[in-house]
Amino acid sequence: MRSFLLKRLPSGLVVLLAASFAVFLMLRLIPGDPATTLAGPDASPAAIAAIRARLGLDEPLAAQYLHWLGQVLTGDLGPSYAIGGQVSGLIGDGIAATAQLTLAALLLVVVLAVPVALLGASAGRRPWAGALRALTTGALAVPPFVTGVLLVGVFAVSLRLLPAGGYASLGDAPDLAVQYLALPALCLALPSAAILARYLQDGLERALAEDYVRTATALGVSRRRILWRHALPNALPSAVTVLGLQVGQLVAGAVVVERIFAWPGLGQLVEQGVQRRDYPVVQDLLLLVVAGYVTVQLLTDLAYSWLDPRVRAL
Amino acid sequence: MTVLSVPFAGALRRPVRNRYVAGLLTWRGVSGLALVGLVALAGLLAPVLSGADPNAQGPEALAGPSGAHPLGTDDLGRDLLSRVLHGIGTDLTIILTAVPAGAVAGAALALLAGTSRAADLVVQRLFDLVLSFPGLILGLAVTAVLGPGRWPVVIVIALAEVPYFGRQLRAGVLVQREREYALAARVGGAGRARVLLRHVLPNAVDPLVVQGAVALSVGVFIEGALSFLGLGVRPPEPTLGSLISGAVAYLDTAPLLAAAPLGVTAALVLGFTLIAESLNRGVRG
Repeated sequence: MRSFLLKRLPSGLVVLLAASFAVFLMLRLIPGDPATTLAGPDASPAAIAAIRARLGLDEPLAAQYLHWLGQVLTGDLGPSYAIGGQVSGLIGDGIAATAQLTLAALLLVVVLAVPVALLGASAGRRPWAGALRALTTGALAVPPFVTGVLLVGVFAVSLRLLPAGGYASLGDAPDLAVQYLALPALCLALPSAAILARYLQDGLERALAEDYVRTATALGVSRRRILWRHALPNALPSAVTVLGLQVGQLVAGAVVVERIFAWPGLGQLVEQGVQRRDYPVVQDLLLLVVAGYVTVQLLTDLAYSWLDPRVRAL
Repeated sequence: MTVLSVPFAGALRRPVRNRYVAGLLTWRGVSGLALVGLVALAGLLAPVLSGADPNAQGPEALAGPSGAHPLGTDDLGRDLLSRVLHGIGTDLTIILTAVPAGAVAGAALALLAGTSRAADLVVQRLFDLVLSFPGLILGLAVTAVLGPGRWPVVIVIALAEVPYFGRQLRAGVLVQREREYALAARVGGAGRARVLLRHVLPNAVDPLVVQGAVALSVGVFIEGALSFLGLGVRPPEPTLGSLISGAVAYLDTAPLLAAAPLGVTAALVLGFTLIAESLNRGVRG
């Protein structure tokens, strides 16, 4: 296991380093100078120069990049330019909200996808197999902002069952938080659940066509036992890889879903940072998302090797 | 003699019909084509179907359907039907520019990767890099630099699709260039570039066609999402995404405002998805 991790780690680190470089350069390409924006329209050149010096913007680019890398590695991210407060504080608040949303969505993805896949795989050529396929195609085809608006329209505006938007922390008021979470989490989870259900069902169907399944059937093993004990463990590894890829999609999708449901997470923070030219917030956040993505990929590979012993031997 | 002629006869009896066409002529393909065709036709005929200027504001805001405004008007008194129809046009021109651009760039990089090990390594890390900015995060990063607008949306969609096209083609090239026909071409004296472009490439493009249909639906999704974040095409030019995001505030008073663009967007994306699925089944045989 450790050698497996050692082999995977370097390429992840290369991607991370390249991403930090790309993010840094990209933000320096933005037209407009944050010091000028910050100083206001009537500021004197001397005042702008002072702000530039205070923010370290007068240093050469290479020095600025190394300084930022040092900040990231020590965890001291410094103050934000425009939004106000320390960057680490802003990001911390954002993470708490986004983590609640994405974890709830991830849970929903698994809870929705696994039964659908098992049902679909055991349906064979029965008529409702087609209906299930149509259902997953539908869920896959509709973008989250469309489902989001539909969910708000039905559950918040017409039926008045759930709030249309807002946020409560799970720690402070669990019952309220669940009500606020329900719609955004569902909206975020649906496309990913459809993709996972598809892959898992394909995997199950392929496993059910294998010789060992025929042998088990001939030996009188029940259909249910074959599905759960023989087909599922063989279909699971590739499904976990798909789930790992979907985590990245969930975080990205959260940006839009947070906007629809007024959820104060990382998505809103990036959006604010981009619109107000807040370099530190945007570059730290983008790097954080990339780091999270790389970590999830690594964890996915680890989970794969745990579920499929053949990979471990490599 | 008879033994020798059997595989030959089999080769002659090969169905003449193209596999793509065969894939599209299933119920999935036909309904997908019908959905996309209908929406595209409506977009193309926008000036004929609705005489109203999509950006002209009128005195009646949020009016219901009437003779002058078949779908009613929006919060600024603009004709909804005309805005939806012109929105289709904007969306289609954006994704039909962006997706081919992404496909060509991805394919070019994949072919570059096919030339040497070093190039392969660099190109692969490049794809990893783009993929490590999941979906919209890439969009946010690009619009942070370029500002909102039509071209940034095109660039975001194209850039997001590059690694998907590139990886598919790279995998195909790796398989195909080891096949006997590629070897035969090399032995026959063809140069590396000729083998890659004339022999390997045509046999490795199948997955790209399917990927193209998927990319079109992703394009509609990205356009809408960027509009939702206020980073898409600048107002007042209508897009499907901006129409939906503008309608959210009036869900309880004027549901038609959201329903019309929602229906069109869903039909378009569903159509592309069905086409992609039918092509996929056709290619797999």
